[in-house]
Amino acid sequence: MKRYDLIVVGAGPSGLSAAIEAAKRGLKVVVFDENEKPGGQLFKQIHKFFGSKEHKARIRGFVIGEELLAEADKAGVDVELNATVVGMYQDKEIVVRKGEEVFHYKGNAIIIATGAAENMVTFDGWTLPGVIGAGAAQTMMNLHGVKPGNRILMLGSGNVGLVVSFQLKQCGCDVVALVDAAPRIGGYGVHAAKVARTGVPFYLSHTIVKAEGTDYVTGVTIAEVDSHFRFIPGTEKHFDVDTICLAVGLSPMSQLLKMAGCEMEDNPKRGGQVPIVDEYGETSIKGIFVAGDVSGIEEASSAMIEGRIAGIAAAKYLGYIEETELKEDVEKNEAALEGLRQGMFAPKNRGKLIKKTEEGIDISMNLLKHGFVADDEIERFPGVTHRVGVHPVMECTQNIPCNPCQDACPKHCIKIGEHITSLPAVDEAVDCIGCGMCVASCSGQAIFLVDETYEPGFAAVTIPYEFLPLPEPGEKGYGLGRDGQKICEAEVISVKSTKAFDHTNLLTIKVPADYAMKARFYLAQ
Amino acid sequence: MENIYDRTIDLGEYKPEPDDDRIICRCEEVTKGEIRRAVHDGMYTITEIRRYLRSGMGLCQGQTCAKLVKGIVARELGVSPAVLTPATSRAPMRPLEMKIFAKEGEEDE
Amino acid sequence: MSRTADVIIIGSGVIGCATAYYLAKKGTSVIVLDKDENIGNGGSARNGGGVRQSGRDPRELPLAMYAVNNLWPTLSEELGVNVEYHKEGNLRLGKTEHHLEILQGLTDRATACGLDVRMIDGAEVRAINPYLSDEVIGASWCATDGHANPLMTTLGYYRAARRLGVQFYTGEEVTELQTIKGKARRVITKKNVFEGEKIIVAAGYESRWILESVGIDIPMSKDLIEALVTEAEAPMFPQMLGTADADFYGHQTDHGSFVFGGASGFETVNKDNGHNMTSSITAPCICRGIMKYIPKLANAKIVRTWAGYEDVSADGVPVLGEIKEIPGLITACAFTGHGFGISPIVGTLLAEVAREEKTTLDLSAFRYDRFKAII
Repeated sequence: MKRYDLIVVGAGPSGLSAAIEAAKRGLKVVVFDENEKPGGQLFKQIHKFFGSKEHKARIRGFVIGEELLAEADKAGVDVELNATVVGMYQDKEIVVRKGEEVFHYKGNAIIIATGAAENMVTFDGWTLPGVIGAGAAQTMMNLHGVKPGNRILMLGSGNVGLVVSFQLKQCGCDVVALVDAAPRIGGYGVHAAKVARTGVPFYLSHTIVKAEGTDYVTGVTIAEVDSHFRFIPGTEKHFDVDTICLAVGLSPMSQLLKMAGCEMEDNPKRGGQVPIVDEYGETSIKGIFVAGDVSGIEEASSAMIEGRIAGIAAAKYLGYIEETELKEDVEKNEAALEGLRQGMFAPKNRGKLIKKTEEGIDISMNLLKHGFVADDEIERFPGVTHRVGVHPVMECTQNIPCNPCQDACPKHCIKIGEHITSLPAVDEAVDCIGCGMCVASCSGQAIFLVDETYEPGFAAVTIPYEFLPLPEPGEKGYGLGRDGQKICEAEVISVKSTKAFDHTNLLTIKVPADYAMKARFYLAQ
Repeated sequence: MENIYDRTIDLGEYKPEPDDDRIICRCEEVTKGEIRRAVHDGMYTITEIRRYLRSGMGLCQGQTCAKLVKGIVARELGVSPAVLTPATSRAPMRPLEMKIFAKEGEEDE
Repeated sequence: MSRTADVIIIGSGVIGCATAYYLAKKGTSVIVLDKDENIGNGGSARNGGGVRQSGRDPRELPLAMYAVNNLWPTLSEELGVNVEYHKEGNLRLGKTEHHLEILQGLTDRATACGLDVRMIDGAEVRAINPYLSDEVIGASWCATDGHANPLMTTLGYYRAARRLGVQFYTGEEVTELQTIKGKARRVITKKNVFEGEKIIVAAGYESRWILESVGIDIPMSKDLIEALVTEAEAPMFPQMLGTADADFYGHQTDHGSFVFGGASGFETVNKDNGHNMTSSITAPCICRGIMKYIPKLANAKIVRTWAGYEDVSADGVPVLGEIKEIPGLITACAFTGHGFGISPIVGTLLAEVAREEKTTLDLSAFRYDRFKAII
């Protein structure tokens, strides 16, 4: 039987990362993936990633995917696509379907990196065509170039619900509401804010009563829920929609591990049934490792690090490296992983209501309830300052592990400091040159350039803009507030798209001076 | 109720609920009411529910409904969903045509 | 919780559940114990659902014929669940002259016992089942054989027994049996002690280790055998199929899926990881076997495969009834893969034995002490 040092199942961020680390250390590695394209979820991620340089922050997900593939190729990893793993048997044997045949392989070690599947919730009409997973919508849009629907309601305000809502808007869909049964938005505030400012209304403490339609979705009714998640009569709201997207969490696809006899546990904190593993991701069966969502739902950045650790551990297991090298290499990655698991969205804080930032500033409750920081709340954050001339306004109000803005400014006028989760602050001693690098570098699209004294009575506001078609200079339209409502007239002054901005266009609009700290989006007439 | 081992426990009378006719397992078209009734018929485990109703036995092998069924059964029994062992995972992980499963290819070693 | 009953049954398989049901129906109090957390999680949930008389050992045939004539036809009505019983015949297929010789031998023995079974040629085979390939040159045909759904039968007996007040406790692994003043009386589990006037051991191969605690041995081995199921197909044929070569057996269920069992040839030596593990080579082998007989199923999708242990008797038929040396002790094990089809009558007979009634059929051929050395 054909035998590899290491068989990796799943060519997503964790699987590829594992394969690269193992191959670099001399292992003969194959990666099997059932999809025709590698990269797992990465190739659907068109947004820029959070984190720091070591986490590939401000690089778009699909670019990270391409980089990983190139790296895997260079390291000599054999990536086999359209290769569906049928089962994992005793003695680390894998059966793979390729084309019209099945093949048997043995691995001296195996890393399972099969990821996760979307959860569903039920309501009347949930089986109608038009009710789809948010991940499915993302696959349609970003992999296949298919518009999932025209008028869409999104259920779920975690990062997936928020990111996909934004992508649906980018795709030209009308997102009529973003709904969550929880009383507070689950995902990053910056993701919520960029959705809210495009005019998507948020309905927290609401959920779907029913999907309407006989052959397919034609509408949806939501209603408010009380603290026990019971509908409050009389609070029903109807929307005409053709699509309902569900972003209600993920479940690990851990079936192969269970089949092989790895010890499993039901762990709601990890998203469901997961293998019991040690610090290196090794399961109860020696030589079978896991990495990524299959061992607990997180996100792609941490999946990549978990993959690297598992790959290094597999190399040690097979005697390609010594214990000291294992310890050294894993330590570095664990530090990086720890860096990502900081801040108010850290796994340890899941479900907790955090009322103050690490700096002791009150968190915007309006952001948690409505998706945007209210005008009377924004001034209390350190990134929001006033000065003469152009300067950055950083509406980054929650402690998340992310710091590309700090390095983006050629003048070093943005400070985050030691702690990656600290809120960015402006160094008043340094002059902003208005280059816009910070605006384009912010994965949360939360940095704006404001010139409160652009012209007598007028201010200039530069916003990150990732929509097509791009407005033309001189064009007239409206300035939208953080809530997505029209608040003033606006005129496009300039549209900048340079390679360094990586497709985040910088749109500068002229608005009445009073709206300098309020206008945060542009709508053409 | 602390465990699912004692099958003599009286669960009380089965009371219909308004959403009992909602389909939970799409592949095999099993409703919430059928699942609830099965629990009252003594099917206390996910495995027994599957064998009794075929829920999770269709093409997706329970990928979509496993958590939903578990939640319904746990609620009916008054136990935490974590008490209920998920169904066994069985090959093939994806439905596989007999002619393909039958054809074992050879590759150079 | 109550720990005493007239009868304690160890094993909640179809035999244990059926016995419990027939006992409870007559007013006997029963406790059923199973080490698994699921009811009937051994062979009862893993077999191919055959309800056959043909192909059976002459000692076993009267039981099968009685069940087919008297119990299976009304079982759905009796239990209040659809056990999906179909009495539409069994074709045991042959592709070579050697196969036909094997089939002729089986047929001769069965007809001698009064079963209506006969040899038919390839043309008649295809007249009965047009999906069978031209490779099939003959078969034995028993029109009164059939199949049922083993999952629904087991759980149907369980449900009906439970309604009659039978106490079922799962997760109770029996560690030993104890006699009191010479009579079997106590069942010790890892968690509890149960007491009954009669103890019935119907725990498949594990019966061997349970009976060992009172110095009884049933000569049996265990084979890890496998089966698979397809997605639902349009209705094709209602017969139960088997082969002279024993390379596969199976049928189409009411649901539309096909359930097939088969062998790779390594069943007696297959290893397990504690999880009834399937092997990587058996399912492909079963698929190749099926396709030779039913080419049309080549495109049917397999959705699941599974494995289960068969408790294989040293002489091919089960051990049933009282263990005379230990009053109060009854066993039903070593079914050798033939237990499901006769489960209604075995349950009936064991209930009679436990109640010390005259049994409907003679059980002496199944005595525990029948095994003798060859010389």
